[in-house]
Amino acid sequence: MLRKILIANRGEITVRIIKACQEMGISTVAVYSEADRDSLHVQLADEAVCVGPAPAIESYLNMEKIIQVAHQMKAEGIHPGYGFLAENSDFAKKCEQENIIFIGPNSKALKLVGDKVRSRQTMEKAGIPIIPGMKSIAKDILEFKKEAQRIGYPVMIKASAGGGGKGMRVVYEEKDLKSSLEAGMREAQSAFGDESVYLEKYIEEPRHVEFQALADNHGNIVHLFERECSIQRRHQKIVEETPSPALNPALRAKMGETAKKVIEVSGYNNAGTVEFLLDKNKKFYFLEVNARLQVEHPVTELTTGVDLVHQQISIASGEKLSLEQEALHQKGHSIECRIYAEDPLNNFLPSSGKVLFLKEPKGPGIRHDCGIYSGCDVPIYYDPILAKLIVWAENRELACQRMVNALNDYVILGIKTTIDFLKDVISHSQFKAGKTTTGFIKTYFGEWEGKQKSEKNLEIALIAAAFDSLSSTRPRKGEEALQKEMFSPWQSLGKWRIGGK
Amino acid sequence: MDFEFSIDNKLHKISLEKKEGGFIFSEGKKTYEVNIHPISPNVISILVEGRSYQVYCVRDKEKRYLSLEGEEFVVQEPEASQEGFEKDEEKSQEDELIVKAPMPGKVIKVNVSKNEKVRKNQTLAIVEAMKMENEIKSTIEGYVKNIFISPGELVDSEKPLLELGLKE
Repeated sequence: MLRKILIANRGEITVRIIKACQEMGISTVAVYSEADRDSLHVQLADEAVCVGPAPAIESYLNMEKIIQVAHQMKAEGIHPGYGFLAENSDFAKKCEQENIIFIGPNSKALKLVGDKVRSRQTMEKAGIPIIPGMKSIAKDILEFKKEAQRIGYPVMIKASAGGGGKGMRVVYEEKDLKSSLEAGMREAQSAFGDESVYLEKYIEEPRHVEFQALADNHGNIVHLFERECSIQRRHQKIVEETPSPALNPALRAKMGETAKKVIEVSGYNNAGTVEFLLDKNKKFYFLEVNARLQVEHPVTELTTGVDLVHQQISIASGEKLSLEQEALHQKGHSIECRIYAEDPLNNFLPSSGKVLFLKEPKGPGIRHDCGIYSGCDVPIYYDPILAKLIVWAENRELACQRMVNALNDYVILGIKTTIDFLKDVISHSQFKAGKTTTGFIKTYFGEWEGKQKSEKNLEIALIAAAFDSLSSTRPRKGEEALQKEMFSPWQSLGKWRIGGK
Repeated sequence: MDFEFSIDNKLHKISLEKKEGGFIFSEGKKTYEVNIHPISPNVISILVEGRSYQVYCVRDKEKRYLSLEGEEFVVQEPEASQEGFEKDEEKSQEDELIVKAPMPGKVIKVNVSKNEKVRKNQTLAIVEAMKMENEIKSTIEGYVKNIFISPGELVDSEKPLLELGLKE
């Protein structure tokens, strides 16, 4: 088993991985950029090293520096988290050459599944159903136009190297193709350092259903069932759940076996997710393999009882899978909401700044994977994810209710977040009915104008503000004295005598 | 003591008076007793006729952020907010012609040049923050009077990016 791991990431996922390492008795090394000195992951890791200036390209994406730090700190493995270097096959290969264990798939498989054009060809050959799309990278705009005509509009522009919605655009008419391609390529370049994009048929009203798989280095593969991630804005997931309301046991088994086959023909090892689109008629198409620990992995953990980060580390250490397919079952229902620093009332614009106050929701069946704290800064340089709120309950209806209550109990002051928006999403009748498609947000929340606030609560807020104002207009000195008095044991213990009975 | 607060650009005149065992709140003709206890630096417990409210409160310069029962209120001090009102009225015409950054970020591209004619909703510039590109669009039909930014520049929220002129 590995004894020391460097985590080449930041935010909530790094905190999550540090906790798994602590449980397994593994020491942790955090890396951070100059903008992240005060970040939570730096505080929680056993050791922490600065790897460069704020822009990710000079710090979290600086492969040489990170490998050098791994050697210097004697880390035996590197966990890349998600984003940044997680799906960079060059980085995985460099780790292999430098005798550092990359906690993820082998570089060859990573290269294959990361190259979405080549992986589609491989899958098509293996008889895995795929969506009609480009079979090779286009040389110029003319070729893109020809391909778009062959596939038929609407078409989707996707980044060859990426995921997470970055670089993705839907094009409904030929006149918009050129400008969308340019924007998609720029986004792909800045997010992944590779501007290649390709086109495929855009399937309308689909559900996004993915299967979690684990494969060890000895050829054993299991799947841990599905996650439905249809609730998306800008093609990026914001709510995920499992089980999917759209699957029945037969379809689940069929998709699970297909997912295992995808992993097998890719020569893939460690944790991976096979993404499918499921259409209205319950036909499913292979989309891609997410070759990383995913943001939404906790819903699988809560329903299967398997800790995916523990599994990743064990597999990377060379151990055999201890799980057997027949013994794996889903229990109850789990939902995750992603808490982003974004303004849902203003086109989901990022909202950086200081978190003035944070109160985490607590209670039975509530898990909060969090990368922030009261007083921390949210820098402009990185992904706006702050935290994830995950609930588990015996059934979907209870899970929805538990999520709404937990969101109500969740306070982040100082920056704009998606909390209010998510409350309305989970409370929506169509969501409750399980009628979730990737067009859900656009259809039902395109004109969202914010939650209605109660008059009574406004009044109480005014009272609290007045009270706060009264207390703060007291002279500073007096206030300090009062504070001291409040916390002095001589005041709070009451009457007492030394040696008294 | 009397207070003037604004919430969502609406002015509220209230009073909160200390009395034996609690406070008296009044707004207009409405008046009732309130029991208020500070719990910790950011938590206030309020009881109104037995109904309990847990209020989170934090101050940042002239703003107070409050949260209770899952609802957030941003309360502004009277002076600061009144100033804001006046400014808003005076500047509304001018503001439309000054295009400002909607959030802190980095200028990726300036799509127009000086004196260029622009349509409503035409993309003027692209600002990136947190790895997402955001297109800054024209709210009017007119021409580009001034450009204050160049690609690669870091901009703060509300920083003027361009000035537009109305079509002659």
